[in-house]
Amino acid sequence: MKTISRRDFLRGAAASTAAFVMGGSMTALADDSTQEVSIWYYWETESHQVALDQVISDFNASQSDYVVTAEYVPYADFTKQLSIGAVASELPDMVIIDSPDHASYAEMGIFADLTEKFDLSNYYQGTIDSCTIDGILYGVPFGVNCLSLFYNVDMMEAAGCEVPTTWDELLEVVQALTTDSVNGLAFSSVQNEEGTFNFLPWLWSTGADTYDINSEGGIKALTYVQQLIETGVMSTECINWTQGDVMNQFISGNVAMMINGPWQIPTMQSEAPDLNWDVALIPMDSEYASCLGGENYAVISGGNEDGALAFLTYATADEQVKYLMDEFGYISADQTIAENQFDEDSKYNLFVEELEYAKARGPLADWPSVSDAISLAFNEVITGTATPEEAAAEAQATIDGIIG
Amino acid sequence: MGEGKPLSKKKNILFCVISIVLLVILLFPLFWILVTSLKTEQEIFQNPPTLFPHILNLASYAAQIETGDFNMFRSFANSLVISTGATLIAVVLAVPASYAIAKYHFKGRNAMLLGFLVTQMLPVSVLLTPMFIMMKNLGLYNTWGAAILADATIGIPFSVLILKNYFSSIPKELEEAAYIDGCNRFTAFLRILIPIAKPGVVVCAIFSFLYAWGDLAYGMTFIIDQKKRPMTAGIFNFMGQYGTKWSYLTAFAVVSIIPVALIFIFMQKYIVSGMTSGAVKG
Amino acid sequence: MKAIKKFFRYDNIGLLFALPAFLYMLIFVGYPIASNLVLSFQNVTVKNLVNGEKLFVGLQNYIELLQDSVFKRSFINTLVFTVACLVFQFLIGFALAVFFNKKFRIAKPVRGLLMMPWMIPITVTALIFKFIFATDVGILNYFLKSMSLIKENIEWLTTPSTAMVALVCANVWIGIPFNMILISTGLTTIPQELYESAQVDGVTKVQSFWRITIPMLRPTIESVLILGFIYTFKVYDLVYVMTGGGPVNTTHMLSTYSYKLSFEMFKYSKGSAVANILLVVLLIVGSFYLKITMKGEEN
Repeated sequence: MKTISRRDFLRGAAASTAAFVMGGSMTALADDSTQEVSIWYYWETESHQVALDQVISDFNASQSDYVVTAEYVPYADFTKQLSIGAVASELPDMVIIDSPDHASYAEMGIFADLTEKFDLSNYYQGTIDSCTIDGILYGVPFGVNCLSLFYNVDMMEAAGCEVPTTWDELLEVVQALTTDSVNGLAFSSVQNEEGTFNFLPWLWSTGADTYDINSEGGIKALTYVQQLIETGVMSTECINWTQGDVMNQFISGNVAMMINGPWQIPTMQSEAPDLNWDVALIPMDSEYASCLGGENYAVISGGNEDGALAFLTYATADEQVKYLMDEFGYISADQTIAENQFDEDSKYNLFVEELEYAKARGPLADWPSVSDAISLAFNEVITGTATPEEAAAEAQATIDGIIG
Repeated sequence: MGEGKPLSKKKNILFCVISIVLLVILLFPLFWILVTSLKTEQEIFQNPPTLFPHILNLASYAAQIETGDFNMFRSFANSLVISTGATLIAVVLAVPASYAIAKYHFKGRNAMLLGFLVTQMLPVSVLLTPMFIMMKNLGLYNTWGAAILADATIGIPFSVLILKNYFSSIPKELEEAAYIDGCNRFTAFLRILIPIAKPGVVVCAIFSFLYAWGDLAYGMTFIIDQKKRPMTAGIFNFMGQYGTKWSYLTAFAVVSIIPVALIFIFMQKYIVSGMTSGAVKG
Repeated sequence: MKAIKKFFRYDNIGLLFALPAFLYMLIFVGYPIASNLVLSFQNVTVKNLVNGEKLFVGLQNYIELLQDSVFKRSFINTLVFTVACLVFQFLIGFALAVFFNKKFRIAKPVRGLLMMPWMIPITVTALIFKFIFATDVGILNYFLKSMSLIKENIEWLTTPSTAMVALVCANVWIGIPFNMILISTGLTTIPQELYESAQVDGVTKVQSFWRITIPMLRPTIESVLILGFIYTFKVYDLVYVMTGGGPVNTTHMLSTYSYKLSFEMFKYSKGSAVANILLVVLLIVGSFYLKITMKGEEN
């Protein structure tokens, strides 16, 4: 049982305010002191939308200077909408965007400088890096996630396997788990940012650098993926599976182990409550590695910057961050919050641990092109259209052309 | 060809059987959408697939009524307004244009015909930015008007090219007879030619409507307000960064098809009667 | 003199009828085409999209594309895809139109039902076909296996050649109703008397098909093919959703590649250049169509 919190009280207040605004919209509009602040975001998950709306209506109820409204812009359309909006000067006042895209948008010159405006000293360094370009802060991390290894406990027990910690062990285990109708392992390998996100942990685990894929480590990572495909433990269909598809395969029992993120946990629990699964660190080659994901807030320069900042200050306060993170299945970008965010027996704790090994992508304005080269490389290997050596060399040539 | 003549009983039955087989094969994907929408997310991914749902799951349909900001009925009304508006513009502009191109050898006629062809040749993605700026300058950004004007550009050239053939198949004598009866060019066009070309006009209207109905790019790009967006935009509520919610998506597809299918089946009767009345025979 | 005067009046009226539609298209599409053309000769990327100088770089974007292997592949793919789709959807659509033109009892309602694939937003169609063609959970492999046509599941969408087959299947499925209804409508414009008098002259049904139906349908056939070509050539949503241009860029079309360059990799000018090349190809096809229709009218 929960006692009535300030949030619940505000919720009621927000509802009555909304009713008032609807009934008396003429007076509300006539009031010059109230300014509108618009936000674009791309979360299609209903619980995410509801949580964000909640924080927004709480904020609207807490003061009378600004009215914040949020619009959902689909992820697939986000870049397009923002590019077009930038050209036509028709942008919102604030956006919540995917962290690897931050540098590109910042390069467009549409974001306001937030240096010194927020205290981010407790935030994970990787998250701050993702919104910092040339020493200037262009955003504030919303929340983070990273990838870990999910496994089907029953299948593991039936096969008599232990949780693997190294690549060699992993290969043995997934081979033992693979049957006629079950693939041992799956991770999204789509030829886009999503696939790159899932491939980078393997690359980084060898100690290789993102921009140095044609190295011993780079080729080793690609060769490992090739082995997963050739031994039949992973389906080539992974190149068409989004992370959500991979999760669906996992909860349907078609896949025994998967690489995925914590945001899947709420869905998994509601869709397949009886499934016996657990999480572990992604097995390593020479070091543990994972890829840092998540979103950042950014304020549009020339928009209603004051209003956006007021909301941002509200939304990044501890109470709101905790609420949002719990509803999202995310981990706070604020390390002090993250460390005490979950109960001791929560499966999320593994992700907090994995975060220590997680690295950020970029930041680089040309990141989309680098990511494209990397995702092409592992797709070529998976489909057998190139050897790991050829794929690595080709990707390196593209990356060198971009980095210069 | 056996048009007009009734078939023998044997042939009639044979043809009915063949047509049902064709129907089953060609509409299988639709059946599959329906079946998938009635399964749980877990069963959808079962290997091997199940032909009929083992557990009947109607939750996906219940969820269509209200998901977040997106309201099924409101978005249906939005789509209806947008498609109807676009169809009206397309038909009103395209019918006289196709008549002129078919019947008058005016200067620049070929260039104009080529123009109509060209205007529908660019992929939508590159039209978006300049069109967006225009809509913004017209004060139509984030309104139905933007989608209506944009969607009409799909229907117009299509209708012109299709209707042109109808008008050219109408014998000159008919028009001349109308002039003798005291019609001028405009009244002859309105009273004689349009009724004759009615089946073509109806087909063009339907196609324009369906193009606008199926449009996603314009509606999504020019209208940012969820409350004004067309139905197609709803697809993105189930398809996003973290994967596709198949049961919801297919349920959405089924629900969105039903009303259009009803409208269409009703119109089909109308088209057929228009066609078989065979005005061209005159 | 009187005749000339009358002739001119006739012409001007034609222009009056056609102008509104033409101007509408000129404003709403002509201007974007022109602005796209300008963009393709500039160097616009993420860095100078909003601020910064946009330099005129001449043909540089086009020259770079000629050395781009993905572009070359997309070009060939688009042609192969378009031709394959046109052939199948036209032949099947034609056959169905003729078949349903017969007066059997359920012809009309069944033909109406067959229009259904047309009503579904392409995005949904693409998703459904992606699902049908899936390797392990796909119903197609299940059917093929249960009929013992294949032993191992075919990896439809992850093998370059079969991915193209799957795309063609999906697009043909959408295209059949389009072809069927236009040809059906065309069939009704053929005067019945032609067939009757042919029969009196002892012409067989097959002969009358080739001598009456096909020639009388020629304008319809030409329109159907040319419109089909244009709509297929700029195919976008279907490919974007079903394969995203993959596996390994082997099913990219000009339109999807243009979109990817512009809105995923922020190379706006290059994306425009790809779209313009697409436009040029369609222009050539379009003028070819005009030439034959004009010739047809003179005869």
